[in-house]
Amino acid sequence: MATNRSGAAQRPNGAPQTKVCQFKLVLLGESAVGKSSLVLRFVKGQFHEYQESTIGAAFLTQTVCLDDTTVKFEIWDTAGQERYHSLAPMYYRGAQAAIVVYDITNQDTFGRAKNWVKELQRQASPSIVIALAGNKSDLAAKRMVEFEEAQAYADENGLLFMETSAKTAMNVNDIFLAIANKLPKSEGAGAAGAGGARRLADGEQPRPSSCCK
Amino acid sequence: MAQSNFSAVDEYGFERHDDFDYESYEDFMSNYLKVLATRAQKWATLLGEGKSVKRTNTVKRYVRKGIPSEHRPSVWMAISGAEKMKDQCPDLYQKILDGPFEKELVDLVKTDLPRTFPDNIYFTKEANHQTHLFNILIAYAHNNRVVGYCQGLNYIAGLLLLATKSEETSFWLLKVLVEKILPDYYTKTMDGLIVDIEVLSELVKSKVPDVHQHVINLGLPWAVITTKWFVCLFAEVLPIETVLRIWDCLFYEGSKILFRVCLTLIKANKSDIMACNDFTSLAECFKAIVKNASALHCHEFMQSIFKVPGTLSNATIIKLRARFAKQRREQQQKEQR
Ligand SMILES: Nc1nc2c(ncn2[C@@H]2O[C@H](COP(=O)(O)OP(=O)(O)OP(=O)(O)O)[C@@H](O)[C@H]2O)c(=O)[nH]1
Ligand SMILES: [Mg+2]
Repeated sequence: MATNRSGAAQRPNGAPQTKVCQFKLVLLGESAVGKSSLVLRFVKGQFHEYQESTIGAAFLTQTVCLDDTTVKFEIWDTAGQERYHSLAPMYYRGAQAAIVVYDITNQDTFGRAKNWVKELQRQASPSIVIALAGNKSDLAAKRMVEFEEAQAYADENGLLFMETSAKTAMNVNDIFLAIANKLPKSEGAGAAGAGGARRLADGEQPRPSSCCK
Repeated sequence: MAQSNFSAVDEYGFERHDDFDYESYEDFMSNYLKVLATRAQKWATLLGEGKSVKRTNTVKRYVRKGIPSEHRPSVWMAISGAEKMKDQCPDLYQKILDGPFEKELVDLVKTDLPRTFPDNIYFTKEANHQTHLFNILIAYAHNNRVVGYCQGLNYIAGLLLLATKSEETSFWLLKVLVEKILPDYYTKTMDGLIVDIEVLSELVKSKVPDVHQHVINLGLPWAVITTKWFVCLFAEVLPIETVLRIWDCLFYEGSKILFRVCLTLIKANKSDIMACNDFTSLAECFKAIVKNASALHCHEFMQSIFKVPGTLSNATIIKLRARFAKQRREQQQKEQR
């Protein structure tokens, strides 16, 4: 996995011809399904066996480069416990993308994920790109939610879908890339999960958005 | 305590991260140790006469200057009213722990045990604090069914445990916080929390209007910034010594202190906040101001919370809370219709 950020610090040919798009992305899902872990994997390339429970929400950013576009994600990682639900609209309001996460070893969390999808379809921006992530795919031995069942549900609802593992990093970058590719911004950013995306160094400031807003 | 300056673990058992700034910490500690020594002497005199602490102006002044860590358990119990609660049913805690427990609550609490202070040596699997934490949280969840278990209480109970080293004391202090000192932050609808965030927003608007406008303009709601501040009572937000100093005052003076701390953070860092010109830098700014040098220098910080925000009367807080609670009820009624 490309977790070495310094290795990807340069722009192609040093020529900043790329468009820069900024997107607000929110993670939703039951407590302990691995939302913070997915973000930590994506942003820092790390995994903690014991990840602290999130209170309120945490904010992080990460930039990915598609062929001709730099996509900067503003990521809101929210608290999963049901009673924090009433605060959620603050985070998904105005979001262009959402990752709804469940834990493949826990059927209840899949039900909860479906409710989040419904709520987003009703209340969030109509153009929001929603991805469904069946996390903890490394624990397939304890699987309670079948891949096919989730895939069928995702297809019915027009969601991106992947099984992910924050622990092994499987499909973590890919799901963010798939979202980046699907977000309306440009012509031909390429197929999801292609190797064309890279990360920028921390300090590097993308130029002000010249496209999608 | 002094040698902990050089240790990879602080005096409460927290591992110091790679980015820990030993230099500025030493700078802070070299001064703060002197303060601690003076305060220890004063408290020894106060408590030495065998009197239990009463709520007097002297004690209030002493509390504002910091309770020595060895006296925190007993003084917190006395000044908060927890002692009195406990005297009314002295064996409550043990009785609840005899069970039985509801499976649903047990599962909820258990999920958060390894996720509470994982970087603290006392909270690792091998150490015993996870067991103590389970007992405190499960006992409280059964004792107060309206609250049950709310995420965030794990950090409060965990820090109480580190500060008091006693399960039962932590239980009573948690109870007095949730039931006497704070509005209903932790109930299923978190109404008190949402109201207090509105109250804070209103206070910022009247005391630092340009900051309020700036933050609104950049599209960051106060609730996003401050939910964790209120829910965790600054645990897991500010440096630990600063949190404990805030809690000293919280146990004596009540929840108004929380607004003083919020307003101080916002007002004292006004120029940093105003310098942000987009959403991202503002969000990062609010992460930085709770970790900077003035947040670490707890003694000066605690002096500043009584100056920086200006006057803040209980009457104002009560009035604002009533106003926003009413608004919220009306809003909810409208939604139900
Ligand atoms: N085996 C395995 N464990 C995981 C994976 N992702 C997360 N975990 C573990 O699951 C627990 C919960 O993960 P978090 O990332 O904290 O979950 P969350 O959804 O952010 O939870 P809240 O903040 O409470 O809403 C942690 O102990 C993680 O180590 C994964 O892909 N595989
Ligand atoms: Mg989390």
